Amino acid sequence: MVEIIGAYQVSLITTMGISVILALSLNLITGFCGQISLGHAAFIGAGAYGAAMLTTAGWPFAAGLAAGTAIAAVLGLVVGLASLRVRHDFLAITTMGVGFLFLGVVRQQEWLGGEMGISSIPDAGLGKGGYMVLVVLIAAAIALFSVHLKRSWMGYAFDAIADDEDTARMVGVDAARYKLTAFAMGTGLAGLGGGLYAHDVKFIAPDSFGFIESITILSMVVIGGIGPVWGVIVAAAVLSVLPFWFQFIEEYKLLLYGGLLFAVMRFSPGGLAGFVAGFVAKHKRRRAAAP
Amino acid sequence: MTALSNTAGLLEISGVTVRFGGVTALDDVSFAVNEGELLGLIGPNGAGKTTLLRAITGVITPGGGSIRLAGRDITGLPIHARVRLGLGLSQQLVRPLRSMTVIENVALAAGHARTLSPLAALMVRERSAERESALKFLDMVGIAEVADGQPANLPLGTLKRLEVARALALEPRLLLLDEPLAGLNHVEAARMADTIAALNKDGLTVILIEHNLSEVLRVCSRLVVLDNGRRIGEGEPRAVMADATVRAAYLGREAGDAAA
Amino acid sequence: MLAFELFMQGLVQGSIYALIAVGLTLVYGLLRILHVAHAGLFTLGGYIGVLVTNATGSLALALLTAMIAVGFVGMALYRFCYQPILDRPPYVALIASIGLFIAMEEIFRIIFGPYGLSYTAPPLQAPIILLGMNLKAAEILTMVGALILIGGLGVLAGRTRTGIAWRATVKDPQMAESFGIDIVKVRYLNFFIGSALAAAAGVMVALLNNLVEPTMGSVPSYKALAIIVLGGLGNVRGTLIASLALGVIESFGTIYLGFLLDRDAIAFAFLILVLMIRPQGLVGRSNG
Ligand SMILES: Nc1ncnc2c1ncn2[C@@H]1O[C@H](COP(=O)(O)OP(=O)(O)OP(=O)(O)O)[C@@H](O)[C@H]1O
Ligand SMILES: [Mg+2]
Repeated sequence: MVEIIGAYQVSLITTMGISVILALSLNLITGFCGQISLGHAAFIGAGAYGAAMLTTAGWPFAAGLAAGTAIAAVLGLVVGLASLRVRHDFLAITTMGVGFLFLGVVRQQEWLGGEMGISSIPDAGLGKGGYMVLVVLIAAAIALFSVHLKRSWMGYAFDAIADDEDTARMVGVDAARYKLTAFAMGTGLAGLGGGLYAHDVKFIAPDSFGFIESITILSMVVIGGIGPVWGVIVAAAVLSVLPFWFQFIEEYKLLLYGGLLFAVMRFSPGGLAGFVAGFVAKHKRRRAAAP
Repeated sequence: MTALSNTAGLLEISGVTVRFGGVTALDDVSFAVNEGELLGLIGPNGAGKTTLLRAITGVITPGGGSIRLAGRDITGLPIHARVRLGLGLSQQLVRPLRSMTVIENVALAAGHARTLSPLAALMVRERSAERESALKFLDMVGIAEVADGQPANLPLGTLKRLEVARALALEPRLLLLDEPLAGLNHVEAARMADTIAALNKDGLTVILIEHNLSEVLRVCSRLVVLDNGRRIGEGEPRAVMADATVRAAYLGREAGDAAA
Repeated sequence: MLAFELFMQGLVQGSIYALIAVGLTLVYGLLRILHVAHAGLFTLGGYIGVLVTNATGSLALALLTAMIAVGFVGMALYRFCYQPILDRPPYVALIASIGLFIAMEEIFRIIFGPYGLSYTAPPLQAPIILLGMNLKAAEILTMVGALILIGGLGVLAGRTRTGIAWRATVKDPQMAESFGIDIVKVRYLNFFIGSALAAAAGVMVALLNNLVEPTMGSVPSYKALAIIVLGGLGNVRGTLIASLALGVIESFGTIYLGFLLDRDAIAFAFLILVLMIRPQGLVGRSNG
């Protein structure tokens, strides 16, 4: 594989795939179920640390990855249970707090490497090309799962909760249980993405999972349109590789993310998908209007 | 009618009290709703009717008293659990899901068995049966032609009927209607009242809150009257309306005295 | 004695939090916006303070300039960033604000460089012995300054016509409007005052650390969000209490909880703990 498309492209696609996984995982919580989260990096971190600690201790890659996913999902379930008590702005700040709390605790834990983090994480043993294929396959599976979920009755109930939680309850939807399900799935997949990230870059430290990382993932979801799977995939893929394509962007990456996040919310809150939908509608109207 | 009043109440409200800060919206209210009856719950503005309905469905938690549905104490249950035990509510202030079309609003309610557990819900995508039954309920309340409309673009009268259709789609044992005739014109109101009466005849138990007293008197078999959070009257409609206290509540003190 | 010293340090830090958080809670009370970019104004205040002091040698002039200039920037933020999206769901303004804040930090970095600026001749560094404690004059200025500014705000809100109009608007905008209060004017005033207070805090922090950096707003920004939630979103008195309490708790926590959490996480541990017990905040109304 590496021979065909080049080492640089392989690492690019791997990065892209991991970003897509992370963005889709947050999309389950924020896009589908309407629960804003400003602390997603905590769960990515939990999965990354979990998987990396275990494979470093000698566990096989797959087992470490699975365990990291489970750890993140359990943490997500706990946070989700706590978050049931708060809504909207309170939820945003609570999840942000969870992110800072995660960092604050991990930083002080010697057994997690403290500030220095964990280095020389073992290789997955698939080769660079094989690893890329694995990441892309997982990303594709999650994308398909997302599309299915959206069309299922679960997606239907999520739509109702995202729209108006009280009314959802009024038609018999157990909003708490659905929200917990969204949290568990979304954070579990974030943990999976975290584990993949850890075994891609082979080094993790608390700073890899800070507030900016949470916002980066959120900006992918927001710019994608909060919900539409293809929009989120495109946004995640493009935003994650822009700094690679244009070296000068690396320096101004945060300015770009921050500026984009602001501009999208200010001028096109429907994101990419909303923009395209609006464009198509306009085009159709013009066509219809034409004699 | 008299035969039914001897059976155990489907809904039993005992000593329900609700306070909002200094306002006592409900003060020790008790009454029962019998299986199969169409009970009119009336009273002047601010009497506490909506508050009572919200307490029954669990939107607000009463400060005291208990609510039993079919013999089971539901006072502490969350809203969705009460709905699953057989309550269906059509609210005074309409709350359509604005991100969905009219028929999708109703089909979601019709799919209450599908949404019972998240995991089971994930396994199923098929919605046609629910859409079909949703269409049936929309037709029943007379708004089938706007099935694919967006709630944001519809007039209040239509949205009120959407509320009723959505409550019906839950296939409740007890239907709670908060001013379903508001926003409807004369003809539409009469037709809606007929629909409610017909559903009741088919065995559905209904609590109807309405300010449109002529329709209430036409279709209800029994009335409960609230005023200032207290139950001030109960019984056969004509007798209740002739009662001095009830007349006083509606017409002011002197009118009540004059009538007495 | 150690306990007393920790307590005083906590109060100094708490005063800074208060100056930042009051503006944030004012904006929330009026517009229901979590104005994260507020901390960018705090940083801007710090930069203006250092630059003007270095140019003129007058700290007082620097403080005044910073407060007025940043006050106007705050009004512009409202006009061009928030006002057009007020009728959208609340998360829209929140995310826009986060984006704005990140972009502001980057702009500071690009204009002023990543390493920050210092005073050429740092004012008020003389040690003062107070109650047997060794405090810097700047620390005392911070506490006294915060007290004066917030006290002034209290007088403004409680005793003047403007203040009454403003409180009426916070309580019930529609009612206020029907009484002829110009709520748009109130919003501008609100942003001016809140931003000016944040700028004052920026000048003071620059003084305490003898340094302004592009990222100096990051930690206060998110912490101030925690504080206004603890204070019961929109509640000024609650916010003041929460600010001082957090300053003191952090001060002690650094010593006694350091093995478990780092300093900046204490606020959030406290926040989450409180929210689990009282979802409406420490001092919030029960329907908050
Ligand atoms: N959420 C609330 N907070 C404070 N007071 C409330 C609240 N809801 C209702 N009230 C008060 O409780 C009392 C009863 O109100 P309720 O809405 O139950 O009356 P109602 O009988 O439904 O009146 P209407 O016929 O006008 O709908 C009123 O005085 C009302 O102002
Ligand atoms: Mg009412």
